[in-house]
Amino acid sequence: MATSTQPHGWRLAGRYALLIGVAVLVLFPIWVMVVGAFKPGNKVLQDPLLPTSVTLDTLRQAWRDGNLGRSLVNSTVVALLVTVAQVVTSVLSAYAFAFLKFPGRTFVFGVFLATLLVPFEATVVVNRETIQDLGWLNSFQGLAVPFLATAFGTFLVRQVFLQLPKDLREAARMDGLGHLGFLREVAVPLARPTLGALALFGFLSSWNQYLWPTVISTDDDWDTVQSGLRTLSQAQIDKPNLVIAGTVIVALPIFLILLVFQRQLVRGLTAGAVKG
Amino acid sequence: MTTMRTPSAARTANASRSARRRATSAVAVIGCLVLAACGSGKSILEAGNEVRPTTTPPTTVPGQTTVPTAPPTTEPRPIDSLPSCDMSALDAAAADGPVELLFWHGMSNELGRELERIADEYNASQQRVEVRLEFQGGYEQTIDKYLQSNTDNRPDLVQMPEYTVQLMVDTQSNVPVQACMDDAGYDASGILPSALGAYATESIQWAMPFNVSNPVLYFNKKVFRDAGLDPEAPPLTLAELAEYGRTIQATGAASYGVALDSAPDGGGGWFLEQWLAKEGEFYSDNANGRSAPSTRVLFDGPTGVELLTGLQDVVVNGGGVYVGENPGGTDAFLKLADTSAPAAMTIATSAALGAVLQFVAGGIIQGIGVEDLGVAPMPSPSGAPGTLIGGASLWITAGRGDAKAAAAFEFVQHLVSPEIQSQWAAATGYVPVNAGAVDVEPLRTVYTADPRFKVAYDQVAQTPDEPTSNGPVLGPLREVRVTAAGAMAQILNGADPAAALADAATLANSLIADYNARRDNAG
Repeated sequence: MATSTQPHGWRLAGRYALLIGVAVLVLFPIWVMVVGAFKPGNKVLQDPLLPTSVTLDTLRQAWRDGNLGRSLVNSTVVALLVTVAQVVTSVLSAYAFAFLKFPGRTFVFGVFLATLLVPFEATVVVNRETIQDLGWLNSFQGLAVPFLATAFGTFLVRQVFLQLPKDLREAARMDGLGHLGFLREVAVPLARPTLGALALFGFLSSWNQYLWPTVISTDDDWDTVQSGLRTLSQAQIDKPNLVIAGTVIVALPIFLILLVFQRQLVRGLTAGAVKG
Repeated sequence: MTTMRTPSAARTANASRSARRRATSAVAVIGCLVLAACGSGKSILEAGNEVRPTTTPPTTVPGQTTVPTAPPTTEPRPIDSLPSCDMSALDAAAADGPVELLFWHGMSNELGRELERIADEYNASQQRVEVRLEFQGGYEQTIDKYLQSNTDNRPDLVQMPEYTVQLMVDTQSNVPVQACMDDAGYDASGILPSALGAYATESIQWAMPFNVSNPVLYFNKKVFRDAGLDPEAPPLTLAELAEYGRTIQATGAASYGVALDSAPDGGGGWFLEQWLAKEGEFYSDNANGRSAPSTRVLFDGPTGVELLTGLQDVVVNGGGVYVGENPGGTDAFLKLADTSAPAAMTIATSAALGAVLQFVAGGIIQGIGVEDLGVAPMPSPSGAPGTLIGGASLWITAGRGDAKAAAAFEFVQHLVSPEIQSQWAAATGYVPVNAGAVDVEPLRTVYTADPRFKVAYDQVAQTPDEPTSNGPVLGPLREVRVTAAGAMAQILNGADPAAALADAATLANSLIADYNARRDNAG
């Protein structure tokens, strides 16, 4: 498109109608969830779409029965650990693969990528035995250690580094910057949008972990939010909406993070889309 | 592969050649990784969980410690060859302060809180044993974590559901409660015989029953009255169930008669075991696996086909409605509360009664109060009384020291005493495993004030003393249940009962053969 024209009239109306339609589709389940969370258990089936008889009791009970206070702390600590570690390890390894020349680089990178083909589920048993032998069951390190480095992050950041003009590296060297200096002053700032996306992705996937925390903790003081939800989901016929209330509580932190980092994320995804 | 080649190709002048080389090395790498994965996969296979129906919950993770080291259990094993129990070890250890006892359980929410209350009271009442409860998130998680853990990370006492008997025996990781009962001179005559029998194989009492439940019929008395049916004479046979359903539909009292589900631990797998037992049939060969390990299932025989044909008729011609797999255990009940097309009856575990009464008290089923909810014995093809024991039992872990095992049994004795079973049953709706509990408060008042709570107990008490009254013990019982539940779902959706059962039996038999082969190889 050479010149952008402002749509108007019917065209604009049509566009908004479409957007509203999609928005309703996307928001409908969330609306049902929020309405359900604020109702007492026996009123869920009556007017499921309308916020009649609002109460905080269900949310309170979900908080207590799911041990959500403790598990929110656990999940937050683990997710932060994992996020920070993933960004650091990805940047360092990606730098090595993108800028350093060493024998077997291609081969080692191939091994890195090949690990993406092994699903985590296939390694759960071995990983658990390792953690058990280390005596790390029921601990933050046990929950976080298998996720501190990812081949995906390495690959993603390496791609960005490869796109940096060679001249930058040359210029930095002329100015007397070493590897760490170039990494800190040039490469990381330029890759920031991607790193933001990587961090967010790492945080989300850690937050949503279910299998590993379930396998690694035998003491409910080390439950994460998803295991807390599992507890709530166990048949409570008189409180069918308890798990809905729990889901609302658990989704809230993620919602806030997305709200705060939304601009960063969108900028990250579109950065470099248009060459200036 | 492509993702790997593209960036390098963009960078290198000599793109095609180096890309090919790279690709070759990457293939080699991936090859060894796949092989490595196969290697570890093989050990998983031997560990006992390879053939799993796809509907198995994803939480179930194979564990290597499931490798059973037992020889095939074809001849009766003398109790002497099993880990022993020395109750006097507790006296010695308790002299230096209370012995800490770690107890893993799967009781969530209200059930868990009641168990905690009992444990707290126990800790406060004596100085010998200090019980520490750890809730594992449910039965499935308890099984997984127990199997994956080594002795150091296992609890001293663990609660396991009724479908794990053979699996637990094959782990060879327990002190049979029989050993402790013998050493302590424990009088087990108060414990319901069928509850004890559920956790015994080859004349060894492996575990102590703790919480017992069984399926009962829940029904809406108001609908019965509206339809001109007697709410005091609920249906006993499948034929009556269909007849009642037709009357309810014809009079417009409700949209459906009975709501049926196909959950593995509900209408699908568990009920099939119950119905076969009620008809005096074995579910699997070698007396349900209790005289020797089972080698195949028998549910595809004439009785099974007749049973499922009758059940299908309840849905097709008898006003029944099939509510699906019922994963949360609440769908069948919610069908009774459906505002547009409600059902009048459902069959579900007696353990839900307390919660269902609260549910009804909240006014969720329009127009009925707590007194309008009826509870009756589980209907069956012939209307025979009796039931299989559902629920869970207590297993003592071996290898954690004599004092721990003795402390575990001391606490087990407390948990199954008439007083505690009375409190436990009154608070939860479970059937007490100790017959004496019925004469002790608070349960005595509960049973006389609300006979609905007593229906499940009566079903246990009326169970005939037959070999078929002890349910199947199969290593892969959980997986076999999932298989059977799949067949039930097909049948309730209109498939041919004989064909669906035959297919399920073939799959179940291969699961059993696979499990037995792994166990024999390990031995």
